[in-house]
Amino acid sequence: MSAQDYTRQEMMAIATGREIRDGELAIFGVGLAMLAGYFAQAHHAPRVRAMTEGGVYGATPVGGLPWGIECNRISTNATSFTSAIDALGCLVASGRCDVGIIGAAQVDRFGNVNTTAIWDGPIGDTYRPPKTRLTGAGGANDIACGAKRTLIMVAHEPKRFVDKVTYVSSPGYLEGGDARARYGFPGGGPTAIITTLGILRPHPRTREFVLDAWFAFSGVAEIKANTGWALEVSQDARVVPEPTDAELAALRRVDETGALRKKS
Amino acid sequence: MPDSKLMTLPEAVARFTWDGMQYASGAALPVGSDAIAFGRELLRQQRGDLHAIFHCNTQQLNLLAATGAVTRAECGFSGLEVFGFANGLRRAVESGRLALEDYSNLAMPLRLLGGALGWPFVPATVNIGSDIQNRSAFDPAHTPSRDKIPSVVDPFTGRTIGAFRPLTPDLAAIHVTLADALGNAIMLGTEWSRFELSRAAKKVVLIADAIVDTGCMRQFPNLVRIPDIIVEAVVHWPFAAWPQGSPGMYDIDEAHMTLMNQALATEAGTDAYVRDFVHGYRDVASYLDMIGRETCTRLSGTATGFLLDPFRQWLLPAEGTAA
Repeated sequence: MSAQDYTRQEMMAIATGREIRDGELAIFGVGLAMLAGYFAQAHHAPRVRAMTEGGVYGATPVGGLPWGIECNRISTNATSFTSAIDALGCLVASGRCDVGIIGAAQVDRFGNVNTTAIWDGPIGDTYRPPKTRLTGAGGANDIACGAKRTLIMVAHEPKRFVDKVTYVSSPGYLEGGDARARYGFPGGGPTAIITTLGILRPHPRTREFVLDAWFAFSGVAEIKANTGWALEVSQDARVVPEPTDAELAALRRVDETGALRKKS
Repeated sequence: MPDSKLMTLPEAVARFTWDGMQYASGAALPVGSDAIAFGRELLRQQRGDLHAIFHCNTQQLNLLAATGAVTRAECGFSGLEVFGFANGLRRAVESGRLALEDYSNLAMPLRLLGGALGWPFVPATVNIGSDIQNRSAFDPAHTPSRDKIPSVVDPFTGRTIGAFRPLTPDLAAIHVTLADALGNAIMLGTEWSRFELSRAAKKVVLIADAIVDTGCMRQFPNLVRIPDIIVEAVVHWPFAAWPQGSPGMYDIDEAHMTLMNQALATEAGTDAYVRDFVHGYRDVASYLDMIGRETCTRLSGTATGFLLDPFRQWLLPAEGTAA
């Protein structure tokens, strides 16, 4: 147990990083996902083969949170620069990538992710301009289709945890069960939704996400209150171990500019 | 000896662009290398009704969308990475002034590759099963969309997949780090999809941060991913990607990235931005004055500067590269 203070975002990043195993071929999205991934590399997975969809290989970010996945903070010590078709295609959509970390504006009970837009209610049969346009799919759709397993990292708020996303930008288990099989994706789908309050994992048959673990500072009631569907609790749900001093030190070396230390 | 293709930016925009065209940017993701200076010149020459093909949104599309110059766009990603949502593009989409057709970051280069190869379609194993396939901003009345990513059967396995429509934009304005006067180009940093785009576009104009002697290309021919035989014109425009960064050359101007995106969030802010930063210069020298010479020096102190070292001996002085 750590005597240090840490933020919910830091706990989320550490819990996400713990899902990454040494030696894996891993792809990280921009922002917090990248910090979680490079934390794993700095702490327990030194031989993780990390990449970004920008086709920048062998790099460790310098100077703090990179502005983007191609920017100079991650182009300073790369060993190879290639392309989008190479990174997202040859190494991810092909089914070769072990694990990808993506973010979400909204996620639903089957792990479908919306990063495209928010509408005032259902879209309807005619596609129409949204109330709030977001960033679109980026590489997350390609990672969600191709990576052997996907980790979804998202702040745990009721507006983000919805029964059914209005727009599926990146597929989770679609309508649940074996629905993904219709499309023959090489990737297996999301294995965890790691949030600022805990960890959700899919039921092996229905693929509905259930509560697997909470953090030392949260609990079942708080998590249920912040989830927009009737969240089931796994029989062996438990508390996640707090960050160790070594984990926090590694994370803060990666998160040099303190992006995760802003209290949320 | 083949002729030089060096040209001024106003001349390149005047010769190779027109209202209603399909215009593609050759960039490195949202906040990287992109010929944003080309977009500023499109506005100076009052181009409009553009159909933008941007693998990812950048500050260029953000600006062209904010001002209403783009009415249709196809993108894999529409944000600005760590700089947040692209306020100008967002405002145009939310108001219905701009139809934004969503794809993913792999779909866009695959469509460019299909265009480059002259394929009738590109097999889609991503984007299928999601609303990217289901919903079309270009054909909003039909859900599921009929011809955005139609289903096709893999003749070998019988599996149902999708078909991507290939892209062949009228013009690609491609940002490169180094070009020679003939149109050979070297990109430092990820090329992202500039290789595929350079072959897919009907015409290619290069916008280079620096011009080098052709001897540089003969020393590093493996690095010349865009050869002169597919290039129409070369524009030398230092800090062409500003306020975005260009590996080896200059870092992102964080303050201006934020200022620009905040300005584009409103119509009044956009008008002021256009007045100050689109019409605020006459030529390269006054463009650099507008950025601020001290800012240029600071941004040029990028930690990636060593990437340029192998090429420095071939850099030509600016006075030798005026078109």
